[in-house]
Order: sequence, then C-alpha cells, then structure tokens
Amino acid sequence: MAERDLLVVKDLKKWFPVRRSLGQWMAGTERPAVRAVDGVSFEIRKQEIFGLVGESGCGKTTTGKLVMKLLEPSSGTLEFDGMDVTRVTAEELARYRRNVQMIFQDPYASMNPRFKIREVLDEPLSIHKVGADGRERADRIARALSEVKLTPVEEYLDRFPHMLSGGQRQRVATARTLILSPHLLVADEPVSMIDLSTRAEILHMMKDVQRDLGLSYLYITHDLSTARYFTDRLAVMYLGRIVEIGRPDDVIGAPRHPYTRALIAAVCEPVPGKVSTCREIPIKGEIPSAADIPPGCRFHPRCVFAGPECAQEPGPELTEVGADHGAACKRLSEI
Amino acid sequence: MNGGRLLYWLKDFWSEFRKVKSGLVGLAFLLLFLLSVVLEPLLIPFPETNKRWSDITYWDENPRSAPPFWTNWFTGKKSAVTERIRSFKAEERQSDGVTLRNLTFPYEDSFEYPPYDLIVHFSGKGSVPFLVALQRPDGEALELIRAQADLTEGEDFHVSVDKEARDAVMEYVRSKESEEAMSRLNRSALVPTEMIFAEAGPGMAAKPIALKGNYRVIVTLMILPDAEVKDPFLVVSGRVSGILGTDSSKRDIWSGIVAGVKWALLIGLLTAFVSVSVGVVYGIMSAYLGGWKDSLMQRIFELFISVPLLPILIVMSAVFKPSIWTIIVMMCAFFWVRPVKTVRSMALQIKEETYIEASRALGAGSGRIIFRHMVPLLIPYAFAVMALDVPSAVVYEATVSLIGLGDATIVTWGQILRGALTGGAVLGGLWWWVVPPGIMIALMGMTFAFVGFAMDKILHPKLRTR
Amino acid sequence: MGSVLEVRNLRLYYHTGKGAVRAVDDVSFSLAEGETLGLVGESGCGKTTMGLALLKMPTPPGRIEGGSILIDGRDIVPLGETAVRRTVRWVKISMVFQGAMNCLTPVYTVGRQMLETLRNHKTMARDEAERIIAMYLGLVGLSPETVRRYPHELSGGMKQRVVIAMALFLEPRIVILDEPTTALDVIVQAQIINLLKELKRSLKLSFLFITHDLATEAEVADRILVMYAGRVAEIGTNQQIFGGGSGHPYTRRLLAATPRIHEKVSELSFIPGAPPDLLDPPTGCRFHVRCPEVMDRCRTEMPPLVQVEDGHASACWRCVHG
Repeated sequence: MAERDLLVVKDLKKWFPVRRSLGQWMAGTERPAVRAVDGVSFEIRKQEIFGLVGESGCGKTTTGKLVMKLLEPSSGTLEFDGMDVTRVTAEELARYRRNVQMIFQDPYASMNPRFKIREVLDEPLSIHKVGADGRERADRIARALSEVKLTPVEEYLDRFPHMLSGGQRQRVATARTLILSPHLLVADEPVSMIDLSTRAEILHMMKDVQRDLGLSYLYITHDLSTARYFTDRLAVMYLGRIVEIGRPDDVIGAPRHPYTRALIAAVCEPVPGKVSTCREIPIKGEIPSAADIPPGCRFHPRCVFAGPECAQEPGPELTEVGADHGAACKRLSEI
Repeated sequence: MNGGRLLYWLKDFWSEFRKVKSGLVGLAFLLLFLLSVVLEPLLIPFPETNKRWSDITYWDENPRSAPPFWTNWFTGKKSAVTERIRSFKAEERQSDGVTLRNLTFPYEDSFEYPPYDLIVHFSGKGSVPFLVALQRPDGEALELIRAQADLTEGEDFHVSVDKEARDAVMEYVRSKESEEAMSRLNRSALVPTEMIFAEAGPGMAAKPIALKGNYRVIVTLMILPDAEVKDPFLVVSGRVSGILGTDSSKRDIWSGIVAGVKWALLIGLLTAFVSVSVGVVYGIMSAYLGGWKDSLMQRIFELFISVPLLPILIVMSAVFKPSIWTIIVMMCAFFWVRPVKTVRSMALQIKEETYIEASRALGAGSGRIIFRHMVPLLIPYAFAVMALDVPSAVVYEATVSLIGLGDATIVTWGQILRGALTGGAVLGGLWWWVVPPGIMIALMGMTFAFVGFAMDKILHPKLRTR
Repeated sequence: MGSVLEVRNLRLYYHTGKGAVRAVDDVSFSLAEGETLGLVGESGCGKTTMGLALLKMPTPPGRIEGGSILIDGRDIVPLGETAVRRTVRWVKISMVFQGAMNCLTPVYTVGRQMLETLRNHKTMARDEAERIIAMYLGLVGLSPETVRRYPHELSGGMKQRVVIAMALFLEPRIVILDEPTTALDVIVQAQIINLLKELKRSLKLSFLFITHDLATEAEVADRILVMYAGRVAEIGTNQQIFGGGSGHPYTRRLLAATPRIHEKVSELSFIPGAPPDLLDPPTGCRFHVRCPEVMDRCRTEMPPLVQVEDGHASACWRCVHG
C-alpha cells in the first residue's frame, strides 16, 4: 500500500443470503446467495477522483455502501489512511464517519423534507458534537454553503428542501458532507436526477470543491460519458467484479475488456449521421441473475470473443495491460 | 421541534382543517366542553357538587325525583318550580333596644301543583325568636311557624314549613273543613304546602284545588341587642327542579353533569395522551430495531392485545380500592397497544427513506433517528389516534362505574348512570336521570370522533408531507 | 405524400389555483410518414404535455386552449372523448408513456394484460388476438413464451419491449415514445434503439421520440424539435442540429453541456440559472434571461420562428438580425 493511498479495498465481498424452500434445505443444497459484490479490489489515492462504472445490478452501489460502512462486508478488508477499518468499534465508526461522507442520488429524498436547510446542515455538527457554541456552528454552516456557491447564505438557511431546485438541493447535500471536513466523499449518481444543463454545473462545483479542499471522491455512475470527463481513474464493474481499471483515456479511449468495449459501443453521442444505421454492439444475451453467476469468467456467456477456457474455473484476474491499466480477461492477447 | 417550524405547520394544518366541516363541529363542541369546565362555578347552582355528591344533607332542599323545570312548558297543568327568592322588603321597628324586623318575600304561585316545601334561611348570631306567616291572595293570613333560632356565627339556619308547620296547617284546615272530612284525614299524610296554597273551603283536605295568585311570606324577627341576622332568603322547593331535574337522592342532575365534564376530559385526555405516546414510540422502536428485537416486541404486543381490558379492569377494581387514578393507569396499560401496528408499518416505510440512510451515513445513532426524524412524522397520526381514544376511555370508566367499581368519591357520568340504575330510574320513569349522562358520553365521543376523523383525513399516513 | 401528423399553433394550459401554467404555448410542426421526429428539451419544457396533447389526454387541470392537431388530415381537437377513444387513440396514434414498463400490473401475466388491451379496442376472437400478440412479441424480439410470465420476472429491457409491442399491435400510424430508454442500462438502451430503427423501417411507422437526452436523439431522430419553456426554440434535420451549424443559442449551449464519450473534454459548459416559471414567463424571448447572446430586442419582443435554411427554423432574433 503506497503512501499516497487513502482507501484500499481488498477482495471485498457482500453476499445477500436468499431464502431456501423447505425442499432445498432438506436436500442440503448450498444456500444460494445474491453475490452483489464478489471480490472487488482497488485503491483510491489522495486527492483523486475515482470512478466506479457499470450497469444496474453490477454491485457499484453496494460497493459504495460498503465503503461507507452502511453495510458490513461478508469478507475482505477495508483500509483507510493506513488503518484497518473492516471491523470497528462504535467510537472508531464515529471517527470514520467524520472522514468518509456520502452524496446520494435523489437530492430531494436525501433530506428530511420537514427540516429547514439550516437544520439539515446542523445535523452532522450536532451528531458529532462539533462546534463549541451556536456561533461557531453557524460559521461552519455558512462556510459550507459558500463552498458550494449557495450565496447569499441567509437566503437559503430558512428554506425547506422543496423550495429549492434539484441542483440547489444537491449543493446543499454536498455542503452537508463537507461540514465535517471529510477526506473521502462517496457520490452515488449525484447528477443523474438533475437537468442536463445543470448537470455540468454541479459537476463543476464538485470539482472545485475537490481541488479547494484536497478531497478524494468515489464517483459511482452508469454514465460513461460523465465518468470520462469527471474522473482521474475509473473501474468498470460487471456482476460484482471489476473487469477493467485504469485512466479514462485508456479504459474508454482504448478499452481492452470485451465488456468495456460493448459498453462504449452502446453509448450514443450527439453527432449527426447515425440515424439510418443500427449500432453494432458486440454482446450477446441478457445479464444473468446475481444469485446464479456463470462459472469461470462471469462475462463469458455474453462475450463475442469467448473461448473454451473462459468457462473454466478459476475466473480471470486483473492483468496489467498498460501503465496503470488492468483488465480481467483470459484472452487479452487474442482480442 | 422549534417554534418557527411549529407555527408554520400549525398554519398549514389549520387551513386544511377549516375545510372539513365535521372537524369544525367537533372543535366547536370541544370548545364548549372546555368552556363549561372553566365556567363551572358560574354554571351550576350547587357549587360544592364535587365534594358533596354523596352528602345527603347538601341536597336536602331539593325535591326528590323532580323532573326538569322546562317540562312545565309541555304540560297543561303546571308544577311549581324550585326557586330561591332573595329579594324581600324589609321593615324595621325599634322599641326598647329590640329590633322587630319584618321581611316580606313575594311569591307568585301560578301553578296547579304547589311546591313541596318552603324553607326560610338566615344566618347571624345570638338567639332570635321569629315568626313565619303566609299572606294569601284571598286575603287570609296564617301563621305557620313560631320558634326560636339559636344562631352560631358562620352557620346557616333554616326552617322548613313541611316539617315545622304541620300543626299550624292542621288547625287552619280544621277551621275550613267539615267535621266529617277532618275525621277521615290522616295527619301524617297531610302535605302542608298543598293546603296552604289551596283554595280554602270544604273539600280542600281531600282534593285541594290550587289557589293561584300572589302570596307573601312574611318573616318577623325579634332581634335582641346582642343578636344579629343577615343573609335571609327563601327557598321554594318545587315539584320540578333545575335544568335537568333531581334524582331520588334529591341531587341536582345538571350540577352533576356539568361537574362530570372535567372528569370525562381528564380521564379521556390523560389516558389517550399517555397510552398513545407509549404506543407510538413502541411501534417506531419495534420497526427501527428490526430483527429479533422487533419480533420480541411484536409478541409482547400480541400478548397485551389479546387480553380483554374490561374483565381485567373489573378484577383490579374489585381487588384494589377503586380510585380514578388506578382506573386511568389500568386503561393506559392496555390502551397503548392501539396505534402500534399502524405506526410500525408506517415506520417501516420511513425507515427505507433515503434521508434516514443519509442520517446514518452522517453517524446518527438510533435514538436520534427515531426521535428527530421518525417521531415528528408520526405525531400527526398520533393526534388522530388520541382523539379517537378519548371517548373509548370515557366509556370504559362509565362501564366500570356502572358495575359499581368506579371511584365513588367523584362525580362522573358513569357514576350518575350507576345511581340511576340502582335508584330505579328506569322503572320509575325518571328519564331525566338516565338520558342526560348517556347523551353526554355520546356527545363527548362524537366531539372527539369528529375532531379525530378530520385530523385523520388531513394527516393520514402521508409520509411525504410538504 | 403529405404529413401524417400536423400540429398548428397548439396551446395547452394547466389551470391551477394560482393561474394558468402555459405548458405548451403556440407550437407547430409536422411529421411525415416513416419519419422520426425528436422532441427534445429539459424537464418542464412541455414535451411530455405535448405528447399527451396529441392523444387528447391532458392531465387535469390541463386543457387544450387552441390550435389544431391534424392526423391524416383530420383535426382531432374538436372531437368528443368517445370519438377520440374509438377512432384515434391507439387506432391512429399510440403512446409509450414515461416509465410505462413499471405500469404493468404485477398480478396478471403479460399475456393477459396484452390480451385485455387488444380486445378492449377491437372485438376479435381470442385465438386471433393471441396470434397477433405472438407476432408482435416476435417483432420486438421476445419469445412467444413471454405471455406466460409475470412482469416481475422480466428484465427492464424486456418489459419495455412488451410495452412497445402493446403500442404497436393495433397498427397505428404514429407512435409517441416518452423517454423510452432513460431508465434503462446503456446496452439495453442501445438494443431498444436498434429495435425502434428496425420497426420504423419494416412497419413504415412515424415516431415522435420525446427525451431530454440529446445524445439519444441524435441516434434516432430524422428531424429534431427543440422545446424551451413551452415554445419551439429550434427545428431542423439531424444534420442541421447536430452538424455544428445550430441556429439557436439554447441548442448550442445544450450541445456544449452534453458530455461526449469519444472526446476528451476538459471543461464541460453549462447554462446558469433554471428554466422559467410557466405561470409567469418572462417577457420577450423566454430564454433571454439565461442567454449569453442576449440583445435588447430579446427582452421585450417574442422572436418568431424564422427560416434559417431549407427545413431549418429558429426562434431567435439573432437569426433575423445576424
């Protein structure tokens, strides 16, 4: 683990057990589980924006919740700033919460609609008993709001969430995370429910905040285009595992894994001349259930390049294909 | 909940509430109830009703089992109404240091059925010989009572015509009736007031015809130098009495009813408030804690809910000395289960809200999430449940009182009903005794039901209240 | 061949307690046979309302205030509800609603729901109906076995295909699609788009494709209508709108705010501010408050739709003056 790593995730797994019928229990079959996260490893460096990209059901949100410690991992380790935080005491958890914060997808649902903005922002201070007196807390709140460019501050403090636009709410949500001066922000689809023209504004604000405060982000999204723009490094997930990881220019510009290639081929672009032709997407079939994962390379049933070795255990590990660029495929040299 | 937010919410709530007519009706009645509690001393003619409900002497002057005064409006033959006459003309004559005071109380008797009694009251000190005489509209005057009052400071002295004037009236009747009628007359069956207010002449003993007109009751007092007389008044104990009549123990039912309002409100509101508070917190905790704790709490809940309250109340009241506080505590112990199921399912939904997760992500503990996020969302529903619990509590208390296991030291509508039951009100046709407490219980139930339904309509499980 | 749909000066307002929200305010366009017209704009611009208006199904308290909607030359605005239901809706023009795939009832099988919809509109024998359903399921790329499944057993993409099949099987001339791919994953989205292109070709359908995503629009639409605050901002062909010669500042800025996957974009631009309140829209051009190229005239006078080139019109004073 390098000095520059803020968060290190090693072989993280989260399996959700599924109910068995009486017959299955008596037959002694192994209890099926939804393997939402099935062995994920990556590092987030200091002051870096790390993207986690994938389709729905790939496990990216669950990974985010594991990093946030809103869920307990089934196995694997989590290290933050050099310390093992896989299992923590209540006190350590409180300290962890001050260092790692989250921005949620739905800007309205993530705030209690009956709280005024002032109370929304005061809550973290009150929980962690930060701020010696009312004045100091008001100061922190004001500073957080200015950081996200919601000024003049007095205009917003006494409003309710429904009085703000989606973009403004997301700014408040960001301010709420910043108020405890964290080091890592987990952002789960922060702009997907916001208007197109405001999306860039919010991402812009988030980048400014990152630079000003020297934060790291774990940016979770299904939108490859914004991931390319926003992240410093990113990982592509499929069915609970990382299939490719590296810098956006490499992963998106020159993808090596067949799944990444299919994803990129499927993305639409606002350029003319595409109407008459059907897009060629190099992928077969549908996503299987996470309770019933294919053996060997879990992508192989859908892969257009699959060979006989792809169905055999063990599955592929991340292999280095370039500087700081890895892909998990057994047939990298052939494709 | 800070003041500003509360005010905003109240304004919002009121504008919605105004639109629901039944709610306004309920609210109006509630205000009437509250007003009657505040103005109780002014409303009831017997201020010590609460303390002296069981004290027979306090009610002595009322007629027994008398219908309400307004029944006169519906009958052809009117009955004398119970009155207190405080206005009089006073004349004084002094001689040798002795004051001879004449108090003239005017009384208009326009009734077919004369009063049961005339009672003269006064207080003061010293020994005061006095005379009570009646001046009839046909010009005749008769002396009713000649006696001496030994007055003690601070105590009220009263003398009743029905009790003391028997001999004088007998004489009067003898002077008017035939020898034959007199011999048939039973002295103890004589009702003095029937005679003195009847037309004088033969046949008056057997079938007295009421002599209507202006009567004057003259009280002559011989006040010696060291004696003193003050606050004289005359009580006419009529055949109909009070706004709601009297019961077989001569108690004014209107006073009892009005005095019962505060008990009903206390029992209802206290039980409702305590039990709903407990129930709501219980439901939320059960939902939030989840897992085996939730299961355990639900099993405990099921235990309580399957126990029938009334038999328990009866047993408890039979074992312990029944006091209103014991009854309230028992009711609370069982009423708390009412909102639990609904609150739990609402809380389960709230638990899944993103902002709850966000709070946890911020580091909030269970206590904070339950009390700062979840409880405020359920307070509106809690109020609706409280409103509907109030009549239940009142009826339970009434039921317990009816069986005789209630708190006999206070006046509740249930107690009045109990009195009616044991006093033979139904068989005796004393409808004014039975009907009012029942109506009041129903009215209170209706009031809170209306308010509760209106609140429920507006505040019903809306989890995203804007 | 004339246009299969022609909208002239359509106005639809929502009459709320606070006043009239001018959701669609004087919109005109035409749709030719076999063409896909893309209706694009941000949330609140009126595009969904537009779609509902074409079916004469405005959400109450909405009401069509004026203008005409001609389908195959016949104006449907003056028609009564029964006539619309029997002769227009799902017969001439059908719609795949936003989030329709989530509106499939979970308690009935897919087949049962499709059967019910089909036989509600056309009296036919049961086996005839089943044959049609099987045919259209095949057309959207689903196996005929799907009729026995329940909606929760299907993936998002499959559910969307079912809903598309239901919009098609009465063989309408026009199909309106409101954000049909927004809730879907990238790959499924691409597959559905391919399906739509295929259907357009084989069935000679006309599509009205409503979305806020410019990138998707570029992929599917022959012509594009950009809406802003209830009015038409720009209308043109795919090439004209996306080819770089865009005539309206709003469209240009919207394009600049759309991230591209194949370009390394260092700075993503955005449009400051928010769309206006349609209860009380600004005077003059509705975009002028946020427009980087605003002139004095824009603040006071509403710009008309002027032709920039053949088939390309823009409602901007700059196109008049330059």
